[in-house]
Amino acid sequence: MEILELNNISKSFGAIKALDNVTLSLRSGEVLGLMGDNGAGKSTLIKIIAGNFKQSSGTINFEKQKVEFSKPMEARDKGIEVVYQDLALCDNLTAASNIFLTREIKRNFGLIKIINFSEMFKRAKNIFKDLKSETLPDEEVKMMSGGQRQAVAIGRTKLSKAKVVLLDEPTAAISVRQVAEVLELIKQLKNQGIAVVIISHRMPDVFAVSDRIAVLRRGQLVANKLAKESSPEEVTALITGAIEKA
Amino acid sequence: MTEQTLEKNKKKIKISNLHEIGLLIALILVLLLFSFTTENFFTQRNFTSILRSASYVGLIAFPMTFVLITREIDISVGPSVAWSGLFFVILIKWYDFSYFSSAAIVILWGILLGYFIGIARTKLFIPTFITTLALWSALRGYSLFVTEGRPIAISNKDFRYLFGGDILGLPTVTWIMLGAFLVFWFASKYTVTGTNFYAVGGNPKAARNIGINVDRVKILALVGTSLFSAIVGILFVARVSSGNANLADGMEFDVIAAVVVGGTALGGAVGTMTGTLLGCVFIAMISNGLIHWGIDPDLNKVVKGIIIFLAVVINSNVTFKSNSGGPKED
Ligand SMILES: Nc1ncnc2c1ncn2[C@@H]1O[C@H](COP(=O)(O)OP(=O)(O)OP(=O)(O)O)[C@@H](O)[C@H]1O
Ligand SMILES: [Mg+2]
Repeated sequence: MEILELNNISKSFGAIKALDNVTLSLRSGEVLGLMGDNGAGKSTLIKIIAGNFKQSSGTINFEKQKVEFSKPMEARDKGIEVVYQDLALCDNLTAASNIFLTREIKRNFGLIKIINFSEMFKRAKNIFKDLKSETLPDEEVKMMSGGQRQAVAIGRTKLSKAKVVLLDEPTAAISVRQVAEVLELIKQLKNQGIAVVIISHRMPDVFAVSDRIAVLRRGQLVANKLAKESSPEEVTALITGAIEKA
Repeated sequence: MTEQTLEKNKKKIKISNLHEIGLLIALILVLLLFSFTTENFFTQRNFTSILRSASYVGLIAFPMTFVLITREIDISVGPSVAWSGLFFVILIKWYDFSYFSSAAIVILWGILLGYFIGIARTKLFIPTFITTLALWSALRGYSLFVTEGRPIAISNKDFRYLFGGDILGLPTVTWIMLGAFLVFWFASKYTVTGTNFYAVGGNPKAARNIGINVDRVKILALVGTSLFSAIVGILFVARVSSGNANLADGMEFDVIAAVVVGGTALGGAVGTMTGTLLGCVFIAMISNGLIHWGIDPDLNKVVKGIIIFLAVVINSNVTFKSNSGGPKED
């Protein structure tokens, strides 16, 4: 089933046309690799889906319904979760506090609501176990490696019943072993029927997990095809413009 | 507790704890130093006096800790205290309000003032330093203007004994301060509101993205300092039985010094209520000890200036390096 449909999406920032008439759809349980050079418009597209930006023109359908998100909360309520390129973690909080931020588990004592840290730590621990990540729930994020930070950021999406997970550069700046972990997680999300969009500059990572590859070049969608019918060479050529369209 | 968690706890002496332990040691050293070098320092009477001044500062320093954590600052607290006390006395003396309703009005004033600073910051994007600097000047100036610099006395023994005196051997203000400490300590550690202050200070952009109402969190923090300045203004009146435009001179300095000495980073994100409490006692003890040494009050200010400078240097070496690498605000 098509869970998300983008119809003729354009976005301008003043004179810059970041997205130009992009039409793209996404199915449940599908992993879409979104590729393109720096400034091609990948992050902009994700931010429009997630309700950070409003498109200049075009429409978005979610589960066949037309949607207009004016803030990220509204997209999240529908089941669209983003892991941002800059991760959006609070370094001064623990892993568990980050995962549960705005969704803290509380115990009620009359009018007073106390954060239930032990329950949050327990659940965060399980999330990290699922991710096969050795991240400690009660450790502050600032002490963590890139891979652990990624696990925390992805852990946030596991908390809600996300239907679409958007990952912006999840494998940048982490070790090889941790890349494997993150890719493993993406496969798990897919197996649970979640639609995943992964933005990456790393060709092998994208081909390892993606069912379909879409390429943006200067705001235009120049390719949207099954991964097995394409190749890293072709995608590279599409990104640089050596091949005009595919 | 299992062996595993025990071991983990042992490993985990946090940086914030390190700072608090260091401060506690410094506090004890200063205590010993003054005790052995002066005659009247190590007396119950003097400790009460230290506690009393630490308590007035503490009542504002706790909310100030949240303000600094959210990357804001409120430097208007001294004049705000003076004006609040004066306003309280004026309502009673000039307009025949009861003590109770005067207090209620002054407290409401405090809340509105904080709200104004917060709105100026979040909706008009005026840095809190600028707004509170303007208020610092305006509130003191207006207080001097309406009173022509003269104190306005009130005489109410019950009010003075209850709020300006002692209960069970400790100053009333100390009891109130300890109560406030518990509330702020608890809020900072165990509530969503407290967590949000840290989240907003840690990464404002992320906090906003995740769905925290960053503006509301900042406004709440700023309402805190103004509200408690109003409360301290009333408590000062109870102590000295008058409103006085010159009261709480330089108090903003003591408050911010206590918070920073207590380990809160001026850049936000980092700080604890326990540290602030220790910082308040530390600052009060130094001021008091220097007086016992017979050092000129003006030089006293020089020493305090050096202390806050050193505290920031130590602070930025102990905490900043690992802490404040967080993203800048949007
Ligand atoms: N908030 C903004 N204001 C103005 N221009 C913007 C904004 N966000 C993005 N742009 C511009 O839009 C274009 C697309 O940027 P975008 O961040 O979507 O690229 P990207 O494909 O994610 O690049 P990268 O691989 O470097 O992350 C760029 O020219 C960028 O400068
Ligand atoms: Mg990007």
